[in-house]
Amino acid sequence: MSVLGYSTGAIALGDFSRAIALLSRYTFSAIELSALRMTEVAPLIEALPTLDLSRYSYISFHAPSAFVVEEEEPLIELLRALPEQWPIVLHPDAIHNPASWESLAGRLAIENMDRRKGTGRSAAELKDFFAILPDAKMCLDLGHARQVDSSMVGAYQLLTTFSDRIVQLHISEVDTFNRHDLISSAAELAFSQVRKFIPSHAAIVLESRVKESEILSEAEKVWRILNVEDDAEFRESFFAKAS
Amino acid sequence: MEAYGVEKLEGLYGVQWQFLAAARTRAEEQLGQLDTVCSSVIPPDTSLVVFGSLARKEFTEASDVDWTLLVDGITIPEHSTVARQLEDKLKELHLAPPGQTGTFGNIAASHNLIHFIGGEDDTNANTTRRSLLLLEAKPIGDSAAFNRVRNNILKRFLEEDLGLWRKSTKVKIPHFLLNDFARYWRTMTVDFADKQHDRFHEGFALRSIKLRFSRKLMYISGLLACLRCQLNFPDVEARLEFFSRDNSVAVIDLVRSFLDREPLDTVADALQLYVEKPSAIQAIFEAYDGFLGILSNADKRARLKTLTPKDFESDPVYKEARELSHVFSQAIGEIFLVADNPVGELTIRYGVF
Repeated sequence: MSVLGYSTGAIALGDFSRAIALLSRYTFSAIELSALRMTEVAPLIEALPTLDLSRYSYISFHAPSAFVVEEEEPLIELLRALPEQWPIVLHPDAIHNPASWESLAGRLAIENMDRRKGTGRSAAELKDFFAILPDAKMCLDLGHARQVDSSMVGAYQLLTTFSDRIVQLHISEVDTFNRHDLISSAAELAFSQVRKFIPSHAAIVLESRVKESEILSEAEKVWRILNVEDDAEFRESFFAKAS
Repeated sequence: MEAYGVEKLEGLYGVQWQFLAAARTRAEEQLGQLDTVCSSVIPPDTSLVVFGSLARKEFTEASDVDWTLLVDGITIPEHSTVARQLEDKLKELHLAPPGQTGTFGNIAASHNLIHFIGGEDDTNANTTRRSLLLLEAKPIGDSAAFNRVRNNILKRFLEEDLGLWRKSTKVKIPHFLLNDFARYWRTMTVDFADKQHDRFHEGFALRSIKLRFSRKLMYISGLLACLRCQLNFPDVEARLEFFSRDNSVAVIDLVRSFLDREPLDTVADALQLYVEKPSAIQAIFEAYDGFLGILSNADKRARLKTLTPKDFESDPVYKEARELSHVFSQAIGEIFLVADNPVGELTIRYGVF
């Protein structure tokens, strides 16, 4: 495991300032800035110069999960202004005109979808998207993958088919209503079955919707899931509260 | 490892099995038509699944369409409405409906298929649906529920097979899975006798020939999928490393990949890779092609369907079909029941008891 952290949307949905403030109390090395609705994008990007993100060695940006066709070009222009090294997580089914995204393709991390969506859920379905945007990377959502195929064979297929594209993992429980929740013991067991296939360089981003009191325990749970050997000293440095 | 399939086998032997090819083409056309007509009806968390000759891609004009609406998620009363809509759509396509047993043409819940394997709750219908889901099934439209249920069934069979994961067990055969395939094969043969008891001669000759060919082939494809767990890994160390607990999803995916192919292709692949008996292999497919030729002939098929016991010994069509079945059986025996090749060796050692 390289770096671990949270999506701001899991900490405080729609309130990135509060999320960043809460997370500053911990020593996580990764953060995903989440702008899941179109109206959240511009304010978040405008606020970037004021945010203290210096503690994070990995930062990504989650683009809106849906937008109308008229918003696509303006969105692409907004996203272009982000630091080039930040992966931009994008839902494949949100794309209206793939050609418009080609100039940003190398910065995109296409995410596998949950089972509400008619496409982009499996390795076979995502191959089509990567054929259109061959330079794009991938954000592999383990919760979505488990929801689509609870045997985890689907997750295994995603991990092995796109191992060289994966830059980030999303990890959380995804319940019957497609909400990102605290990871259950059944999900812990399921996720641990694919841990050896997770690229070591991939950043781990938690999407479990947590209360403030659950931030550390949920992260420690993910650590347990993804690590066979529990190096207590290293783990503690990973999760220590910032002084 | 390069896969062969029936078409590649034809190229290798310089032959053309015309009835196999025609049946496959007809099946693909029919599957496409079903996709067009039915996909929009199928709600989330369900899959329309077809079985039988259509799923095996051995579809002839008079073939019926066995289907089920597989539910893997929240159950709602409307699923039965959807099942009736699907029934109506199949009628509009003038497709022969499922057989009399009631196993198909309705709703099947994944819960029973995954949780009831063996024991009193594993009814004949449940075993049939589960075995066919693995051995001869195709989804129409969205395949997510279908794939998920199949993978979870395989997960049960493989993860609960303790011997598969022990380092001390050098030969890797998934016994739990193999035993269930064998049980289903024997169930079909006993059910054949049961149908004879219930229906006397009605359809006996046709059912008999199907038992000798397509039902037997289906079992053989399942047997070979199990044997390939061992055959695919000639190196012991590599085999033991692959069959380790932290690699279980890869094992499930491997077995799934064998079962994803149609039974004829599964058999063609395995025999070409591991058995150096081209005459016997060719005889198997030659005979099977002849079998499909009989089923494709409307007169011959109708004759078999209506044959009465007094005519069994003298009827030329039934005689033709039986003789083909003897060639088929003989060729299968030359491979599977002789220990002079890896498939035969493993079948004798692990497939009998």
